Amino acid sequence: MSARILIIEDEALVAMELRFVLEDLGHEVMGVAATAKAARDMAREIDVDLALVDIHLSDGPTGIALGRELGQDMGVTVLFMTANPGMVREGVAGTVGVLSKPTDERAVQSAVDYALKRRQGEAVQYAPPGLQLFG
Amino acid sequence: MTRPDNDSPRWEESERLAVLRDYGVLDTEREAAFDDLVALAARICEAPIAVVNLIDADRQWFKAETGLGVRETPLATSFCAHALLLEEGMVVADAALDPRFADNPLVTGEPRLRFYAGRLLKTTEGLPLGTLCVLDVRPRPEGLTELQAMALRTLGDQVMSQMELRRALRLREQSEDTARRALEASNYVGAWDWDVAADRVVADERFADLFGVNPVVARNGAPIAAFLPSILEDDLARVQADIETALGGEGEFKSEYRVRNSRGEERWIVARGQVYFDAAGAPTRFPGVVVDLTDRKKTDAALASVATRLSESEAQFRVLADAMPQMVWSTRPDGFHDYYNARWYEFTGVPAGSTDGEGWNDMFHPEDQPRAWARWKRSLETGEPYEIEYRLKHHSGVYRWTLGRAVAVLNDEGEITRWFGTCTDIDELKRLEQGRELISQELSHRIKNIFAVITALIALSARQHPEAKGFSTALRTRIAALARAHEFVRPHTETSKPTVGPTTLHAFLADLFGAYVDGVGASRVEIDGEDAVFDDQAATSVALLFHELATNAAKYGALSNATGRVRLTTRREEDRFILIWTEVDGPPLAGPPEKTGFGSSLALLSVEGQLAGRLTREWRSEGLRVVADLPATALSRRRAAEKAVDGRSS
Repeated sequence: MSARILIIEDEALVAMELRFVLEDLGHEVMGVAATAKAARDMAREIDVDLALVDIHLSDGPTGIALGRELGQDMGVTVLFMTANPGMVREGVAGTVGVLSKPTDERAVQSAVDYALKRRQGEAVQYAPPGLQLFG
Repeated sequence: MTRPDNDSPRWEESERLAVLRDYGVLDTEREAAFDDLVALAARICEAPIAVVNLIDADRQWFKAETGLGVRETPLATSFCAHALLLEEGMVVADAALDPRFADNPLVTGEPRLRFYAGRLLKTTEGLPLGTLCVLDVRPRPEGLTELQAMALRTLGDQVMSQMELRRALRLREQSEDTARRALEASNYVGAWDWDVAADRVVADERFADLFGVNPVVARNGAPIAAFLPSILEDDLARVQADIETALGGEGEFKSEYRVRNSRGEERWIVARGQVYFDAAGAPTRFPGVVVDLTDRKKTDAALASVATRLSESEAQFRVLADAMPQMVWSTRPDGFHDYYNARWYEFTGVPAGSTDGEGWNDMFHPEDQPRAWARWKRSLETGEPYEIEYRLKHHSGVYRWTLGRAVAVLNDEGEITRWFGTCTDIDELKRLEQGRELISQELSHRIKNIFAVITALIALSARQHPEAKGFSTALRTRIAALARAHEFVRPHTETSKPTVGPTTLHAFLADLFGAYVDGVGASRVEIDGEDAVFDDQAATSVALLFHELATNAAKYGALSNATGRVRLTTRREEDRFILIWTEVDGPPLAGPPEKTGFGSSLALLSVEGQLAGRLTREWRSEGLRVVADLPATALSRRRAAEKAVDGRSS
């Protein structure tokens, strides 16, 4: 199952590695944004299935509001990826959950698969390890 | 001789009997005054018998009698009872011929009375008490002579006069007795009467006792100089001045002073008197009373000293409380606030007294009020110290963070007598704390980010060298394990603490092994036994040890097939902490590996080098069993060290 994915991450190295991992898994990375504004612009321009959103971006801790907006208003499935999952302890409406960084290919793969299955309404038996679900 | 007009008396018998008793004459001894009167009556009337007869409820009693020899007889045979119904008196010339008395045993039998002449004894109110009567054993158809009748009337009046005299004396005695008893009962009052011109002070026993003067001397009167020496020297001049003022025209006298009484005791008295003057304005009499105030003075003194001490300690408390940098408050045992120091009013700017009672809670931020109220209620119920952080409204209108604390003051019985509390402005502190929290959070975030960047860098580097993929994966997972361990041990703030629950060893291990799940999502590494906490010094070693064990199991051991499981048991044994890693249902093992990998070296180094423990490995055919035997303090060495210091210092 190939998906169109947006990476929103201000650490270039982390974003690049993530892009390679996702592409290795057969997904199409539509773009990498380092700020909430750039991410919004991209999401408006291009059709995206899934966004991997860091919370701390170049323009501050703007990832939470961005994730909510993408999920609730723009129909994008949102997974947070952050070194500080405590920031979204209470959950963010319209998003799936949070992966704690650093992570590995397996965790990324299972989390992305899980999110995409949910997006398509497929039955999922259990949440993959390493992914904390909201709600 | 007349007959009674009717049988019904003109008085109330109960009233008559009450008045009779009021004379106090019934059942008294014979008295010459009465005896003489009956003797005279008998002589003048030439009768063998004469009596002063008083009619009681059911008997007639003789105050005086001659010729009869008894003091009372039953009413049934009484002649006088009949006489009472008449106005003045009664004469029976021949009882044997009178139908009222013909059957009277005193007539039919001894002493065979035939003649009766009685004169009513009436009170001033007109109530008949009895008679003065004469009796004869022979009939006297002629009755009494005029002289005899007059004599009987006069003697009857005499009897009544004697009776009235006794009644008056008795009444006076009674009232004097009442007054004396009242004075004695009060036991504190003495009286004097000073004839100023003659300089003669007559005083009662109480007065004499208070002044230590012989009561006989006092009763008979003595010059005032006889009493003055009893007054204490310190007070004497003042008393004399008061006396002079009263005698000099003031008239009224009141003076409080000390005297030495007949037992040598010092007594406080108050004397009140009134000077009477003659037409020329010269003092004539100066009567008055003294009241012993000693006991009241003692009570007053005790009260005064308690009040003084109270007010002193109260004053000290207030000075102290106002000098304190904190706001100080105090409540009654029921929690009613009745005191705040100056600092409170300074801080809040509210009018004094306006936060008494329960008004205090309105001073706090509405969001904090229910919490503050609940805590305070709990403290009131249990007596537990009260401690809370809440926002108090400053007079500038902004809320400032405040630390509230209160303790109960107990009495000897262990009951709460008061609560004393303080409010400390910790707003600055709170800001600093919040700032520090932000920095700590930022640092933590960056550290974790560095781990993320490093693993990304390794992964990216390895992409250029496919032959290094295995190496890079191993390195990255080790770093990831360290990053996780780091998250568990660094100082946390509310927002940065791990989302997985408590920061214990079991929680960390569960997180570390999170990737190893079976087909239904259940963990393949089962952790049980006694949990523990670990600190940053142990974190790296613990992370590396279990990361290596898990990755090794995933490559070669129980986690490498679909069925294998691992059981990890931790327990404390006295001063050791033991972790046992047991693999089951994996591929059967042939024995120890031929060569030891770097992972095994890392594990060994972690346990024996870093944690000062022992690591033993058994390659059993059913699976690997690893025992890490650590000193109990190894997991949190810093905490152990702190405890040791605490132990020494306490």
